[in-house]
Amino acid sequence: MEPELQVIFASVLLPFVAAIATPLAYRVLGERTGYGGAAVALACFGLVASQIGREGTVAVPWVPSLEIAMRFRVDGWALLFALLASGVGVLVFAYSAAYMHGEDNLARYYATLLAFMGSIIGVAFAADLAALFLFWELTSVCSFVLIGHNTEEDAARYSARMAMVVTVGGGLCLLAGFLLLAVVTDGAATFDLAWMLANDEAVRTALREQGLFVPALVLIGVAAAAKSAQVPLHFWLPNAMVAPTPVSAFLHSATMVKVGVYVLGRLRPLFLGVEWTLLFATLGLATMTVGAALAVIASDIKRLLAYSTASHLGLMVAGFGFRSAAGAEAGAFHLLNHALFKAALFLVAGVVAHEVGTRHLPNLGGLWRDLPVTAAVTVVAALSMAGIPPFNGFYSKELLFEAAYEAGHSAGGLAWAYPVVAVLASVLTVVYSLRFLSIFFGDRPSGLPSVHRAPVALVGPPAVLAALAAVVSVTPETAVDVVVQAAADATAAEAHEMHAGLPSHLTPPVLMSAVTVVGGVAAYPYSDRLGRGIEAVVNVRDALRPTHLYDQSLTAVELGSSFTASRVHNGLLRTYVVWCLGTASGLSLLGYATAAVQWPAMSVFDVPLAMTLVLVVALVAGVAVSVAPSHVAGVLTLSILGFMVAIFYIMASAPDLALTQLVVETLVLLIFLLVLEELPAYYADVKRFVVARDAALSLLVGVTAFVTVLLAGRRADDEQTAVAGYYAEKAVPEGGGTNIVNVILVDFRGFDTLGEIFVVTIAAISVLVLITMRNRGERR
Amino acid sequence: MSVVLAAAVGGLFALGTFLLLRRDLVRVVWGVAVVSQAANVYLIAMGGVSEGGNSVVPVLSGHGESVPETADPLVQALVLTAIVISFGTTAFALALTYRAYQENETMDVQEWQ
Repeated sequence: MEPELQVIFASVLLPFVAAIATPLAYRVLGERTGYGGAAVALACFGLVASQIGREGTVAVPWVPSLEIAMRFRVDGWALLFALLASGVGVLVFAYSAAYMHGEDNLARYYATLLAFMGSIIGVAFAADLAALFLFWELTSVCSFVLIGHNTEEDAARYSARMAMVVTVGGGLCLLAGFLLLAVVTDGAATFDLAWMLANDEAVRTALREQGLFVPALVLIGVAAAAKSAQVPLHFWLPNAMVAPTPVSAFLHSATMVKVGVYVLGRLRPLFLGVEWTLLFATLGLATMTVGAALAVIASDIKRLLAYSTASHLGLMVAGFGFRSAAGAEAGAFHLLNHALFKAALFLVAGVVAHEVGTRHLPNLGGLWRDLPVTAAVTVVAALSMAGIPPFNGFYSKELLFEAAYEAGHSAGGLAWAYPVVAVLASVLTVVYSLRFLSIFFGDRPSGLPSVHRAPVALVGPPAVLAALAAVVSVTPETAVDVVVQAAADATAAEAHEMHAGLPSHLTPPVLMSAVTVVGGVAAYPYSDRLGRGIEAVVNVRDALRPTHLYDQSLTAVELGSSFTASRVHNGLLRTYVVWCLGTASGLSLLGYATAAVQWPAMSVFDVPLAMTLVLVVALVAGVAVSVAPSHVAGVLTLSILGFMVAIFYIMASAPDLALTQLVVETLVLLIFLLVLEELPAYYADVKRFVVARDAALSLLVGVTAFVTVLLAGRRADDEQTAVAGYYAEKAVPEGGGTNIVNVILVDFRGFDTLGEIFVVTIAAISVLVLITMRNRGERR
Repeated sequence: MSVVLAAAVGGLFALGTFLLLRRDLVRVVWGVAVVSQAANVYLIAMGGVSEGGNSVVPVLSGHGESVPETADPLVQALVLTAIVISFGTTAFALALTYRAYQENETMDVQEWQ
């Protein structure tokens, strides 16, 4: 069934409209604006949910001349992501209303959060490369604003900028990759992603033929890695944790960081091949391991969750990296499962920070008596994160194990590293999940203050998420039927019926899961020692830390720009003249050279002798101005130049110009003489070196002008241009005058002349002000 | 295209640039004036220069039907505007020179910083 255009547009536009209305709504509702946001998110959720089961593409033209359209594609994968974005949005808005109590800049906070939700729904449905890029970048911008919510804090500004540089830098790679795609499909589709997906074979062949397959793949890979915090671009995500906790739950675990994964899933049918598996299975498993290892040593509970998010994003990327159907199913199913348990855990971290006042893991423990509901939520979510059966995280991890095992089994050799690394990373995942769980169990540290029961408004949202996770845990087949099967199909090369459930007999993936659980539980008591080992590796060299490299490159850029500024922009007039004219001339000459323009037929004698003479006199006068010993001599020779140009106008059949020029020259001569009266003579030693340097630049400019006139100037016997002919034709019938120049100035282009009059008036007023203000004694 | 015209435009641009690079503010103003003259001649050259004579002056002989081919009137309209505006800017630059000298007590643009 075809999707409904209006419904899809409404679900994308509604959050943006609400974002615009937020500042007004905030005046009326105050801190209850959060519930208003939740209502908007719920409306979006309803709109998106009404499209479940439909499939197809709808579009309205946007920039028809470039074949860009607001094209939306509805399929299982898009619906899953849009449902997640709006569904988690409902809970995050409701949670924010309680959590952000008493904070500043709430109107901006809610407006950005709404705009973000609109962008993410846009990303989910976009089926036009330009629209997809636009929404992708909008999510980065919203993330920047939300991470930097506390604008007064250095850490917030630093982290916001870091996230911006990494994700937007990745976005530029995405644009380049998309342009490569647009280049090969030019003529057929240009930016139409839906067409590309329908004709994937043709697009693949075209990419391969032009040698652009690997470049496009790598560029899109870099973009996805930056957005989805894959090694080595994962470092921005833990720093983004300075954002308020609802933001971390919404953007930096459930939705925005999944945009990279989402696009990989979207483009998977287009690019699937040996290179794809090599790149993304390796990248994903590396991130899964590194993220899990760093989560084991994190001491801040939000940082732990951030590294864990990177690790789980690695799991999804690796899943999509594998060729088999199980890989696509692992990626699609884990996208849902991870959003359910990780958003819940972030909200739990917020509750703990809010009620206990610390996020430092060693200071937390035994909180289950104080926060019983929160503890129950955490048990479900953390065990799901660890992939313990029968919790929902287990099913998707099992699918990944299956895909990794198949890849190892079919390729053999080094490919066996895939299942081994997957198991290793999963063992570490169990360890850090148990660490997170330890804040509710075990001994209560002595320094812990008495803790209040958390309000329903804070516990409710994570409880809803945990309940959903529990539902998926109990009946995974329901989730598969409703949306996951369709999502996996949209990302897979060929259809495959998906099954999720507890294993009934022993298979290699089941064995891998058993090793993971047993290994993780056994390793947990030694997590301190494990942590010291990981830290020793991390601390070997500064150069191994991406944050360090990021800081260094940023410092280098700053140094570079201040160096450039001191050279190009140093307050000296001559510097500006040199750079502007030098670059303009250089680029023009370079352009002529590369375009290999033909020299036109040149003639020395097509200008009348009298005109030649006048021009020679003008040039001589110009030379005299340049070498004039005194100001008065210079001004007088400048006048000669001006009058010669007036005579040139007469000879060039332009009597109006000549008249104007004569009047203006006379006036300029008078003004110059008046001003010179007040100015001292100027004497300075002129260095030969400086004169030679200036002469060289002047020569360059002169040659450029000379060449340009030769190449572009109109020959006397050329056809009259169309626009000149138009004005000549229409002068009498429409302007009522025979002097065409006059008619153009006062009639056809009358408003331009009015502008000119304004310029002269403003110049006159400025002159008056400059001269009279001084006399009124208004000094600096 | 005529070499003579091209050489005149190139020469005027070169001389103007040389003046713009001087330290004496008055000479910089001259530079601006010379460059604008050069730009005007350049525009006329772009419109094409042919042997003078009454027939190509862009003024029609009467309100009749026939419209002869004339020198490019549009270029002339542009240059006319340019002449007037460059007059305005030259006058303003001179007033600024005067005032700058009074404030800084030097004509040397290098010493301003």
